[in-house]
Amino acid sequence: MLGEFEYLLLTAAARLGEEAYGAAIRGEIETATKKACSIGALYTTLDRLETKGFVKTWMGDPTPQRGGRPKRLVRVTAKGAEAASAFYKAVTHVSRGVSWETSRAAVPS
Amino acid sequence: MNRLVDFVSRGLDSAERDAVLGDLAESGESGARELAGVLGLVVRRQAELWKDWRPWVLLMLLILPLGLLLSVASQITARGSATYSWLYLNNWDWSLLQYREFWYELRDSLVVLSVRWVSLACWSWTAGFVLGSVSRRLLAANGVLICLTLLLCGLFAAPEYLAYVFPDPGPPDASDPVGALMFYGYVFPLIVRIILVAAPCIWAMRQGSGMGKLPPLVRAVILTTAIVALVAMVMRQPGIGWVLKTYRYPEFWQSWEIRALQNVVYWPAAYLIGGLIVRRWRSIHV
Repeated sequence: MLGEFEYLLLTAAARLGEEAYGAAIRGEIETATKKACSIGALYTTLDRLETKGFVKTWMGDPTPQRGGRPKRLVRVTAKGAEAASAFYKAVTHVSRGVSWETSRAAVPS
Repeated sequence: MNRLVDFVSRGLDSAERDAVLGDLAESGESGARELAGVLGLVVRRQAELWKDWRPWVLLMLLILPLGLLLSVASQITARGSATYSWLYLNNWDWSLLQYREFWYELRDSLVVLSVRWVSLACWSWTAGFVLGSVSRRLLAANGVLICLTLLLCGLFAAPEYLAYVFPDPGPPDASDPVGALMFYGYVFPLIVRIILVAAPCIWAMRQGSGMGKLPPLVRAVILTTAIVALVAMVMRQPGIGWVLKTYRYPEFWQSWEIRALQNVVYWPAAYLIGGLIVRRWRSIHV
């Protein structure tokens, strides 16, 4: 079973497709969660996902916008897509019948 | 700040370093956030390595013993040098310059001090070189650990404890009254420890980490020399020498074998000069 951050990373990489690399994935996660995403968490999680066979990473060509440094490009594998799908199904399933917006409004503070 | 980020990022593998610095350049983050991000990743990477058993063996068999021995050597050198420093710096009198005897005395003192300082720096360099050559990936963590060991041994006065473990350490220390002074008792040993131990050790760790590029035979010769130099240090400083009570047998130190062994301590000078010559030769001929 994936962790929450692993799922976020896989989903962001899948959404970005060919343009999935460190900075872009980080931007996607920060936009989605509205929280800062540390580069340490991103890269260590990326390694973990690669070890599990959920993503494949490789070094791209250097670009001038990055000070002549290469990108670490990411592609979600079939196994990764399967794991993300299973996580999504589990979250959707367990959330069935629960509306957090309504519940939060209903619970007196 | 950029320089600091660049320095910290050296704790990462070169490919990852490029990708991370490129990401940070692209996202245009502030210097402090950039530094925190890179530092966080370096710490995570180093922490991951410690899940294995090998770094722990390295810590127990090399870092801690070498840190302790260098602490002892540094404390002895600091104590010995403190007397000379106090004599010349705290009691300086310009009129002394007119006496020929003063110049003789000064020359002898400088020779004694230079030998002690160079020996200590060479031992520290050798220890750092061996540590650096053992594990390239643990370079940053081992650098921090050896500095911590040196600091803690200094704070908790490891040499004094060692004197209880190995009693009868030879003639009484003549520099005790000087050591009772605040500066010579605490600040001076710390300066010696930083300049003559920590700095050469860290420098050599970087040199040692590049050993993989050398041919196997050269690597074997260099490592053997480094290990012999460490054995010489262990024999000279409290340690095996104390256990064997070699200080009771002055003739032991007079044998040519032991004297030759003591000279191996200065091998870092030969290594650095040799490296310079090779680089110069390559830049001309290649």
